[in-house]
Amino acid sequence: MSSSNDAAVSPRSQFALACFEELLESAVADVASECHRIARLGLDRGVDAEEEELCAWAARDHPGAVDGGGGGGNKGAVDVFGQVLPAVAADVVECMNCGRPVAAGRFAPHLEKCMGKGRKARTKTTRSSTAGRTRNNNGSAASSYSPYSTNPAGADRASLPNGITDGGGSCTGEEHSNHVLQEP
Amino acid sequence: MSTPSAPPPCPHLTAYRLASRPPLRCLRCCLRVRPLGRPEIRREPRELPQCSPCSFPSRSSSRLYACLSCAAVFCPTHAASHASASTSTSGHQIAVDVDRAELFCAACEDQVYDPDFDHAVVLAQSSSLPLPSASASPSPALRKRRRVDYRAWAPDPAEFALMSSADPTTSASAAAPAGLRGLNNLGNTCFMNSVLQALLHAPPLRNYFLGDRHNRFICPRRTPMRRRSADADDKAACLACDLDEIYSAAFSGERTPYSPAKFLYSWWQHASNLASYEQQDAHEFFISILDHIHENIKDDQHKSHAQGHGDCCIAHRVFSGILRSDVTCTHCGFTSTTFEPCMDISLDLDAGYNSSFGVANPKLYVRNGERSSGGTNAKLSTLMRCLERFTRAERLDAEQKFFCERCKERQESLKQMSIRRLPLVSCFHIKRFEHSSVKKMSRKVDHCLQFPFSLDMAPYLSSSILRSRFGNRIFPSEASDPDSVFEFSSEFEIFAVITHSGKLEGGHYVTYLRLNNHWYKCDDAWVTRVEEHIVRTSQAYMLFYVQKTLYYKTCERATAV
Repeated sequence: MSSSNDAAVSPRSQFALACFEELLESAVADVASECHRIARLGLDRGVDAEEEELCAWAARDHPGAVDGGGGGGNKGAVDVFGQVLPAVAADVVECMNCGRPVAAGRFAPHLEKCMGKGRKARTKTTRSSTAGRTRNNNGSAASSYSPYSTNPAGADRASLPNGITDGGGSCTGEEHSNHVLQEP
Repeated sequence: MSTPSAPPPCPHLTAYRLASRPPLRCLRCCLRVRPLGRPEIRREPRELPQCSPCSFPSRSSSRLYACLSCAAVFCPTHAASHASASTSTSGHQIAVDVDRAELFCAACEDQVYDPDFDHAVVLAQSSSLPLPSASASPSPALRKRRRVDYRAWAPDPAEFALMSSADPTTSASAAAPAGLRGLNNLGNTCFMNSVLQALLHAPPLRNYFLGDRHNRFICPRRTPMRRRSADADDKAACLACDLDEIYSAAFSGERTPYSPAKFLYSWWQHASNLASYEQQDAHEFFISILDHIHENIKDDQHKSHAQGHGDCCIAHRVFSGILRSDVTCTHCGFTSTTFEPCMDISLDLDAGYNSSFGVANPKLYVRNGERSSGGTNAKLSTLMRCLERFTRAERLDAEQKFFCERCKERQESLKQMSIRRLPLVSCFHIKRFEHSSVKKMSRKVDHCLQFPFSLDMAPYLSSSILRSRFGNRIFPSEASDPDSVFEFSSEFEIFAVITHSGKLEGGHYVTYLRLNNHWYKCDDAWVTRVEEHIVRTSQAYMLFYVQKTLYYKTCERATAV
């Protein structure tokens, strides 16, 4: 920033340099003055707590589990209540739509077809579908509404075992666009 | 961080204040404020201060001071000599920085602060600004909120014994805290389970339902008459009732996992009418059910929740806050302010810091011995940095010029967000899913985010942001703002973290809950106790913080609810 080794710096460049230095000093003094005020008036009391949190965060151990936090292999382990749970839920639920008993782990795909909302659902009228509901016919009889398709390839979700790849993920508007139902 | 407090004045400042009556009066006439609120000291509007002892014709230093006693202008190198060479009895030690309107004590060689001077500066600043637009303050109908004074309470030994013996699930000796129960995955429903777990343990919401404030057996939307009506079939579902059922199940003491089938069914009946809510993003689901709960149980007397009062339904009472958006014209300083309610705050994850390393990044920094705060801090994405970014003044695009009412033309502008009213429960949504309509692709941002367990939201409040915009001056008397009560209650404690692991197409949501100061991992039906560091290493997607101290409003009606 100070004058360069080049002895033949023109007066114009020197003037420009001086201007720049003045601006820079002014900006630095602004920041210094503000920080001084913040420190003196006690407005930065949160900084210590923040430092503590950051140190705690930096000092955490890495037992090797990067993904999923805490290991994904807890499906067969003992939970906090001392129970050992099966990978697939054994609970039986009564479907609110058709009244049939359904295994909990397969309730969602069942309901999907039952309520006629899934991609695989046929246009059979169920008890609960309102008569006036029209379907969005995209060349198939099925409604294009599908609450479960994270995968655009449309894997048959009903056959996937639970707990492996679940419905966790964001559906993009672009891949599943035009889910507009002509519902009354 | 709360209101600024003046440090005790140095002896020279005290002496000056005693000597000159009224103190600092001459300065008030010389206080001039530049367009964006920057105050300076000038005797004439176009005066160019110069250091008299300096032989240079032009300013050699950026910092010039004017002596408060004799108005002589000098630069820092001549400050000491001016103070010591004073001929009069007192007072030449105190000077003022002419470009920043800051007091300087030449004897202490340090910047000093005085509340009266700051008050004068603030008055000059506020009188120079154009009058705020009509939308600057909420409607006058905002009733003055008086609050009940906080009184600490602790049970006496007899009460404590009674509490411990009463219910095994709530006693301190219980193996696991009350309300902790796994939720069965019904087929790709971990997005729902994770959000439900967080809601189950949100203290205000939990208290509402456990306190029988919404009883599913007497809810008007579930009366038998309605059920028979075919038209009202879709409307028969009341998500609040289903949530009530889940609370009952979770807190029943039963520990085998529960299947929230009915809730899913009800949500579908509602969600099918809104095309945009069929995605299985946990955040989308969260917003969707809050919205539906509002629709189900809103109090029709308070139709608009635009004020963010939260009086319309429990969902808003718990989660709704108010954001303030200021757009300032860079030319004349005119600021247009709008308020909008929000149920959560979506934060961009600043990828810049960690971009070259990816998920393995944190390991590298720690192993390299960068345990010193300086090294780790620089490259870390933290929640507080995200919030700082959220409340930072951003220069709007040149294409998005804002029409300034004062200049009567489109000007470049600055936009700044701040929080006018904090909700009882703050939900932070970290934008990890990036959708690019241009590239027709989406990706997940995997960077690790540091988040504190205790969070003070004071720096992000509108009061703090506004104060810092005008130089953090000391206000001798705080304006009586109905929302200034939040100066006292801006401290939050974390209670739930929803994490996402895996890829965008196939991933898994897990919720970590903090109960009785222990962390529990809720992975669908599997609930296990985990150590703190597991939570810190997880990829936070949604963070839930609850106010540390809840204040109660005084009730105007005779019969308290």
